Amino acid sequence: MKRLWLALAAAIFIILPSCDSAVVPTGEQDGPVELTIWHDKEEDVAAVLQEALDRLQPGVAVRLERKSGLTEALKLVGNNPGAAPDLYFFAHDKMGVYAEMGILAPITGFVDAEDLNGFLPMTLEAVTYKGAIYQLPIYFETLLFMYNRALMNDSQVPATTEDLYQFMASGAGGRFGFIEQHSTAYYSAGWIHGFGGGIVADDGTPLLNTPETIAALEYHLKFVKRMPGEGEYATVNTLFREGRAASTIGGPWLIPAVRQSGIDLGLAKMPAVAETGLPLAPYSGVQGLHVLRVAAENPAKSAAVKEVLALLLNPNLGIAMAKASGCAPALLTSYDDDEVKNDEMVMLMRETAESAVPMPNIPEMDVMWNVVGNLLADVNMRGRDVSEAAADAQKQAEALILAMR
Amino acid sequence: MGKRRYGALYAWLALAPALALIGLIVVFPILYTGYISLTNMNIYHWFTFRIIGLRNYINALFVFDSGFLSALGVTALWTALNMVFQLTVAFVMASLLNIEKLRYRKVYKTLLMFPWAMPGYVSILLWRNGMFNSQFGLLNQWMERLGLEPVRWLSGDVSAFLSSMFVNLWLALPFMILIMDGALQSVDRSYYESAVIEGAGWFKRSVSLTIPAIKPIIAPAVVITLFTTFKQFDVIYLLTRQAGARTGANLHTVLTYAYENAFVTNNYGFSSAVSMILFFLLIGFSLTTKLRARRAAQ
Repeated sequence: MKRLWLALAAAIFIILPSCDSAVVPTGEQDGPVELTIWHDKEEDVAAVLQEALDRLQPGVAVRLERKSGLTEALKLVGNNPGAAPDLYFFAHDKMGVYAEMGILAPITGFVDAEDLNGFLPMTLEAVTYKGAIYQLPIYFETLLFMYNRALMNDSQVPATTEDLYQFMASGAGGRFGFIEQHSTAYYSAGWIHGFGGGIVADDGTPLLNTPETIAALEYHLKFVKRMPGEGEYATVNTLFREGRAASTIGGPWLIPAVRQSGIDLGLAKMPAVAETGLPLAPYSGVQGLHVLRVAAENPAKSAAVKEVLALLLNPNLGIAMAKASGCAPALLTSYDDDEVKNDEMVMLMRETAESAVPMPNIPEMDVMWNVVGNLLADVNMRGRDVSEAAADAQKQAEALILAMR
Repeated sequence: MGKRRYGALYAWLALAPALALIGLIVVFPILYTGYISLTNMNIYHWFTFRIIGLRNYINALFVFDSGFLSALGVTALWTALNMVFQLTVAFVMASLLNIEKLRYRKVYKTLLMFPWAMPGYVSILLWRNGMFNSQFGLLNQWMERLGLEPVRWLSGDVSAFLSSMFVNLWLALPFMILIMDGALQSVDRSYYESAVIEGAGWFKRSVSLTIPAIKPIIAPAVVITLFTTFKQFDVIYLLTRQAGARTGANLHTVLTYAYENAFVTNNYGFSSAVSMILFFLLIGFSLTTKLRARRAAQ
């Protein structure tokens, strides 16, 4: 019995001091100010960022920490000074959720307003939520039209969606003249925007039963019928990489694997919708640094965050990322570099940025991915009437958005 | 008396760490979910939520609409069919493993345990892409060799249900076979010798001797599997409803339905209310099963 009490007492002594470790000192400290940045990026991108941030040593020591499930982890610990990171490096589309939760600080408290004039307008639009800027953009991604020169020569690259359809129907490119992830909201958005439609308005109203969106889904259907039934990432990309599909729409992340497969890859502008004259306008994702409020409210860390953001306003970071991983820089001056200018993929993304639509950053978008996914499955895979399915999806989206509050 | 009290106290103290752990990882989350279900915790009141009474439960009842009832029906059918097939196949396999003079018994047992050793997520995605895919799947490659058209196994409601059930059987059978095998080995051999002498065949021995003998041993495993199957999410979701990889099948269990109609809203108060209603449904189901089992035993 005595031994048991001793064991319990020992356990209490072990546990109690460890609880203290969650308390973070806010006063002055010896040595560098330590900042943690959570991210989900590939090694090449993280290495370039770490190298740039290491220049702040010895005053500021920045640690990049790759975090799986970053978005959920932020929801759980975003306001906990002992567990939250000081900044995070991620796409812009979740900022509305975190801003509403109250865990983000606008970056305008750390960066001069005139420094932001040097960014591509599309990137600034993407990182603004309810009038406040919550992210320092570093680079952006958007979808590109890609083709296999062995199956589609340069003269066959479609200028319009009708050209593309004729190419598919003619069988000139083999069994699949064109494939894409046809029943995914992210990929279908380009077609919907090409008809002047949308998924959700800025005020959070779903736009699924608008005439433009319905027209886009009806038109898109004839393309889907000439693609494989499965429209998910693995099937679409494998078919293209194996040379079994002549063209596709994909992100820059796909390109290294395609080139490695030995495909003579061509990149082209998005075809325009014959009916509206508008190009397919895919979503764009802007990747950059967000500042957590816990860091902004800590005087020592706040000064260090300012130094970090000032450093990242240098166009050389975007240039280094473009060279290392084909990222399209958000800063306009990065495109003055000769090597960037000669990078076909980066320049094409720069061009697409003119028509690309930033992914909505409002919280309502969280439920729209799912609803639109179901709508596309209903229309493209189950053969439901488009207007009827769109009306049901609109109703479901409205109910879910109401349930968010 | 003093000795008895000391013994009881010692037993409670010895159990305390395990009870504390169960309390922390089982009881506390349920109680906390119950508490959150009474609040307005959502992204607009993430840290400033307050108690709003039963409003979330009233809203949650709208989730339990005709779509939910249909999902409940599918879940009941899913549970019943899976249990019937699991018990039957596992019993046959375990009986085969217990045939006297069977060679390489350990090799077969190891092979049969293989699906259990793989993470469920990986297994399900392997089945989706490696077996059912219309372009690359093994099943369609065989069909093409036979001159048949490729089939999209996961796109129709019925074919997706059957395919999901097959994958679930593949995942669940190792556990059931293991339990059945253990139970079969615990049956005294002398009973079989007497039965054989009296002329009972395999079927007669199974029905009159083996099944009654192993019933109490496999009962806890059957109950556990029953609930796991009822609250199935991963097999059906990953095979047919995963974001970006929907197949077109309109197949919902109660959990996939609740996920798509409540959990995606980031409204934790509302989602917790839905979870609590599902929890009480399962408790009701559990009590009914227990009562029926007790009555049957009497």
